[in-house]
Amino acid sequence: MTLRTTLIASTAIAFAGAAFADGHSPMKIGITQNNVGVDSYQTTYEKAFIAAAEANDKVESVVLDAGGDVARQIAQMEDLIQQEVDAIIIWPTNGEAVIPAVRKAHQAGIPVIVTNSNIAEAGFDFVKSFSGPDNITQGARSAEIMCDKFKDMGIENEAQVVHITGQPGYTTAIERAKGFEDRLPEVCPSVTVVDTQPGDWNREKSQQVMEAFLVKYDDIDGVYAGDDNMGVGALNAAKAAGRDGIIFVGATNFAVGYEAMAAGDYWGSIYQSPVDDAEAALQTAIDVLSGADVPFLNYFDTPKITQDNMGDYTKPVF
Amino acid sequence: MATLTKQQIGSVLAKQGILIAFVVFIIAFTIANPRFLSPDNILSVVRSSAILGVMALGVTFVVISGNLDLSVGSMMSFSTIVVLDLHDKIGPAMAIPVMFAMTIALGALIGFLVGYLKLNSLIVTLGMLSAIHGLTLTYSGGQNMDIADKEGTWFSVFGQGTAMGIPVPILIFVALAALLGLVLSKTAFGRKVYAVGGNGTAATFSGIRRARTVFLCYIMSATCVATAGLIQASRSLGSQNTVGQGLELEVLAAVILGGASLLGGSGTIFKTVIGVLILGFIQNGLLLMGLQFYVQFIVTWVIIILAVWLDIAAKRGKLWSPIA
Repeated sequence: MTLRTTLIASTAIAFAGAAFADGHSPMKIGITQNNVGVDSYQTTYEKAFIAAAEANDKVESVVLDAGGDVARQIAQMEDLIQQEVDAIIIWPTNGEAVIPAVRKAHQAGIPVIVTNSNIAEAGFDFVKSFSGPDNITQGARSAEIMCDKFKDMGIENEAQVVHITGQPGYTTAIERAKGFEDRLPEVCPSVTVVDTQPGDWNREKSQQVMEAFLVKYDDIDGVYAGDDNMGVGALNAAKAAGRDGIIFVGATNFAVGYEAMAAGDYWGSIYQSPVDDAEAALQTAIDVLSGADVPFLNYFDTPKITQDNMGDYTKPVF
Repeated sequence: MATLTKQQIGSVLAKQGILIAFVVFIIAFTIANPRFLSPDNILSVVRSSAILGVMALGVTFVVISGNLDLSVGSMMSFSTIVVLDLHDKIGPAMAIPVMFAMTIALGALIGFLVGYLKLNSLIVTLGMLSAIHGLTLTYSGGQNMDIADKEGTWFSVFGQGTAMGIPVPILIFVALAALLGLVLSKTAFGRKVYAVGGNGTAATFSGIRRARTVFLCYIMSATCVATAGLIQASRSLGSQNTVGQGLELEVLAAVILGGASLLGGSGTIFKTVIGVLILGFIQNGLLLMGLQFYVQFIVTWVIIILAVWLDIAAKRGKLWSPIA
């Protein structure tokens, strides 16, 4: 990028910021989402985003969905640039492939905010801020939940854990797995992770993986699943095989996970609200446009939830 | 047995190439992990395969008739979501027939387009793959579907129940395989399916109503998909909208692995069942070996190619093609 375009871009942003601060014209914020409708999280996210944008009369929103298709998302980025929106929020369909489109927006002087799952590091220069959950911390917190429970049960010296990950290659899956695997030996050095296999974010697949684990290992004390959907699949397998006393810990607390916790079958998870996620993304865009100082990694909090404290949280709607 | 000549043994082997491949893999996996052949594991693999298997039975008819059905994956998501939703609204006893009717209506639409309008089945079912996915999402509003009262419903019997110690999904799969095997090999309809797929023009001149036969094949396929959706819904009592995504290719792989020709006119239900079991046992065997999952994708592919090669080699009696 040349010095000139940088200057133009930054001046444009500065002017824009000043204008919005005065409250003259509404901010036009465009969003291109990953794949609405593929799961309840993304559906709820979209509804919450639209509601938050409508509730704020300083904001005018253009809401698009890429349907999981990288090419369509790149085309949508170009559309938003053509429409001269003031800021673009992107939920990347693919952390690598969208970088050229993000760069193009940046060069056109439009600040880009990445939401939910970050793009690859090569694209960080073209992004104003990332708004979303900290998946590495989530993985670490799941490890802590599991370790604390083992300590309560007095089995922290011999417990064996199996790990069911999300879709291979998906950033969220990789980061949560890393957070868990790094943290567990720090808090519970004698607990061993005996096997790791992907459940592809799919309850049925996860159930099949767990069935194989149950055949392979006579002694399983804990299961860590990359989200509750898979965790409940694993729980179903254990129930069908009549194996009691296994501690299930997931992430992204789903309604099914919450119910299984209420029933005493499922120990804990990470509470991540799509409503918080959507509102944080919109707020980040507003802050950037208003000229506020926004951290590059703008995480919203995703606390631990277990059978002990679940009363403090409402049942997820997805 | 002693009176069998070498040629007779050869011709028996030639017909069962895929069965031989199956036995070879079973032995290899058992050596790798003795628990592979434990009754618990076998039951759990066959139970998991039952969903794919039931779908493959219907697709076998379609493939033998010389057509394709790529819509079965998203159609299965549709029936799963519909039956779960209706379960809480109108009760399981009504939900099941309504779901079957809706799924079969989709099959009838495809059958009409491919059979009576003579549109290319690849295009029609590829289009229906995303159209039905859209339909499912519209129906559910993108939300996951879950049955509210999971403990108190008899609906779980289809996916989680057992009879005489055998899981119900296996019983459904076996019963349906036996029934459809008979339909395909012993009835006039079955012979018409082979005739239409083998040589459509000749079949027409023999007085076979080609369009109707193709139409009925898609109806059978949709009925099987509805059954698979029922098992799936009952097994997990909740589902995301994408539950069947990608299954169309696994189903097709199982059918082709079983030796049905994509050009139509050949294939049997028995061999499709073997194809389904090979896929199921490969997945499970690799898990039990504890192979890293990136490697599993590659190994799965290698095993499928090996199976197809063994099948072809047995048929022609040589490992290599005589025409280089």
